[in-house]
Parts: sequence; structure tokens; C-alpha cells
Amino acid sequence: MLLDLSEEHKEHLAFLPQVDSTVVAEFGRIAVEFLRRGSNPKVYEGAARKLSVSSDTVQHGVEGLTYLLTESSKLMISELDFQDSVFVLGFSEELNKLLLQLYLDNRKEIRTILSELSPDLPSYHSLEWRLDVQLASRSLRQQIKPSVTIKLHLNQNGDHNTKVLQTDPATLLHLVQQLEQALEEMKTNHCRRVVRNIK
Amino acid sequence: MELSEYVQKGFQMLADPGSFDSNAFTLLLRAAFQSLLDAQADEAVLDHPDLKHIDPVVLKHCHTAAATYILEAGKQRADKSTLSTYLEDCKFDRERIELFCTEYQNNKNTLEILLGSIGRSLPHITDVSWRLEYQIKTNQLHKMYRPAYLVTLNVENTDSRSHPEISFSCNMEQLQFAPIGQSKIKNMSLKISSLLSEVELNFQTGFSNIFK
Repeated sequence: MLLDLSEEHKEHLAFLPQVDSTVVAEFGRIAVEFLRRGSNPKVYEGAARKLSVSSDTVQHGVEGLTYLLTESSKLMISELDFQDSVFVLGFSEELNKLLLQLYLDNRKEIRTILSELSPDLPSYHSLEWRLDVQLASRSLRQQIKPSVTIKLHLNQNGDHNTKVLQTDPATLLHLVQQLEQALEEMKTNHCRRVVRNIK
Repeated sequence: MELSEYVQKGFQMLADPGSFDSNAFTLLLRAAFQSLLDAQADEAVLDHPDLKHIDPVVLKHCHTAAATYILEAGKQRADKSTLSTYLEDCKFDRERIELFCTEYQNNKNTLEILLGSIGRSLPHITDVSWRLEYQIKTNQLHKMYRPAYLVTLNVENTDSRSHPEISFSCNMEQLQFAPIGQSKIKNMSLKISSLLSEVELNFQTGFSNIFK
């Protein structure tokens, strides 16, 4: 699958051949950093001054590069497809190689970042547990009531959430049995076939 | 067991064969247990033809006294001798004491379960459901191809009687989170049961010695 680059995008990227390959590598690093942390306009100004161009040009260059990397990573295009897509820009052999390397080096991380953008359900983080025995309450003395207290740590949209819950040993056994069945499902022929064939 | 004058007076009336004959006594006693333990019971529990001849004020007083006593006895896990002692002090004859103790013994388990269920506790997990999915793509990311689980815990709140659910997603590695596997839990259950039976034997003396 080839990337479809718009005219505007191609214009932005046209800046890249005009600078040194070390600069392009630096732009690549900045692009990934911005994907990780968010963009920082001051960086553009500094680079613009050093290269004697307007900061807009630098910004477009970096953004063009960012878009190229994220689209390629999102679609998980092959090396060949990436090379063919970039070929239409008419860059030098050296620059094309650099861009490919940039793509391959950062693809995994970019995909991780992109996966955080999907509709988010609370996701499991960790779990702590404790075994207690209730001995008495206001309404009944001399009890022996074992219970398991669980602190469930969940993440959602970057927020950390904890829930404190309780259950009795019999229910806990039932829960564990159910979840072990869930795990067993992955080993069935049906699931194995799906995983093997949908790639 | 510390009981109020009100209860004592009610029992003294209940002890008197002049106010309550054998039949009326038994009926009132059963009514008291029923009011406490039967979820469907209402005021009509005292509407028996054989109780009609008794002054309703007295009837109510004795009914309340009996119910109060039963609850207190249940709470303190009173044994037969404790029950008998108090009833003797209220001038109950042998026959009525026996009757009371038998009724109490019959209803003891239900009473203790009821009392044990009163009170606040953390939200209680009652069940779990799970869903296994194979993620293919999102609008942000294509070619994902990985399995994921969605786990929902059914939770019960004692006071609000609400049933919230807690759902979360996790992957295979995380699902193996139970740092306690099935066999360990079974061992834990066995250990607890043997501990329970051991402690039950020592309870009456052991605990009271600790708290003297």
C-alpha cells in the first residue's frame, strides 16, 4: 500500500533536501519527541535562526516529517512501500535511505503512542490483596468470617484509579476458575486459527 | 446480658399464666421470632384469634420485650444456661423456659445469619464476566492483530443495595495476575476451614479470657 501524499504535504517536505542530512536526522528526532511530549514552538525558532530560514518553514518541515512517520506507522507499510511512496518526492538516494531508517527505528514507539489514542476503557494496572478475618460487628459478636480485600489499580486516559473491593474465599475461587477458563480460550483451535489467519 | 426494665416488665407479664395461658405464650413467642426473621411478616403477626382476649397494649409490650431479648441473645451468642438464668429471674416456670430455649435453638442459625449481614462493608464482588476479543484496527492504528480481554466484576454494595459494575481491559499476561493460583486458593480454603473448626472449640473460653 502506498502513502497518498497531498500537494501541501509534498511542499512542506520539499524543505528537507535543502538541508544537511544531520539536520534531517535532527528534525526526525524532534518529530518523535513532539509525538511523545507535545510540540514546543521555541524549538522551531532556534532551528530557524541557525538555518537562516523562517520558523514557519522549519515548522512545516518537522510537521511534514511527523505526518509521514505517523501515517506510515499507522498503516504499518512495508519497507518497499515506504521507499516507493517517498520516491515520488524526488529526493536523493541518501535522503531516502535516511527517511526509511527513521521510519523503521521509530515505528514501534509511534504505534505505541497511537494506540493510546483509541477509545479508552479503564485498563488493568496492578492488584494488591489481603486476607482478613472478621471477628465481631456491632450486631453480632464472636464471628469468624474470612474475607479477601483487594485493591485494584486501573488506568484510564492517563489517570490512575483505585478501587477497594472485598470478596469471600469461595467467590474468589470461583473468580479464579472463570478467569482461568478465559485464558484457556486463547489456546483453543478456534482462536489459534483466527490469530494465524488474520494478519 | 444487660436488658432494660421495659424488657424485664414485659417478660414478667409473659411469665404469668394468668395473663398468658400456655397456648397464648407459645403463639406470642412464635410471633416474636416471625417478626424478626420472616421478611414478609407485618403487624398482622399478632392477629391470632387465641390472642384476641389479651389487652393489645400488653400484647405489644410483651411482643417487643421478647423480640428485644431475642436480638440481644443472638448478638451475644447466648448459650442455654445464660438464657435460662435470665428467664428464671423473670419468674418463668420450667415448662416455659424449655419452650423458649427450644424455639430459640430452632431459629438460632437464621437469627445469626440475619445479624451477621447487618453492617457496612466494602463493595463485595459477587461474580465476574469476561470477553475475549481480537483487535484488528482502530481509526488511529491499523494492523493491530492482538488479543485482549474485557473483564467485568459484578459488585454489590451492602447499604445502598446498588449493583455497580467494574469493567477493565487487560492483556493475556496481566490476566495471569492472580498471584494466587487455583491450587493456592484451594489450600487457603482448606486451612481456613480447619482453623475455623479449631477456633470454634476454643471460642467460648478463649475469647472471654482474652477480653477479661
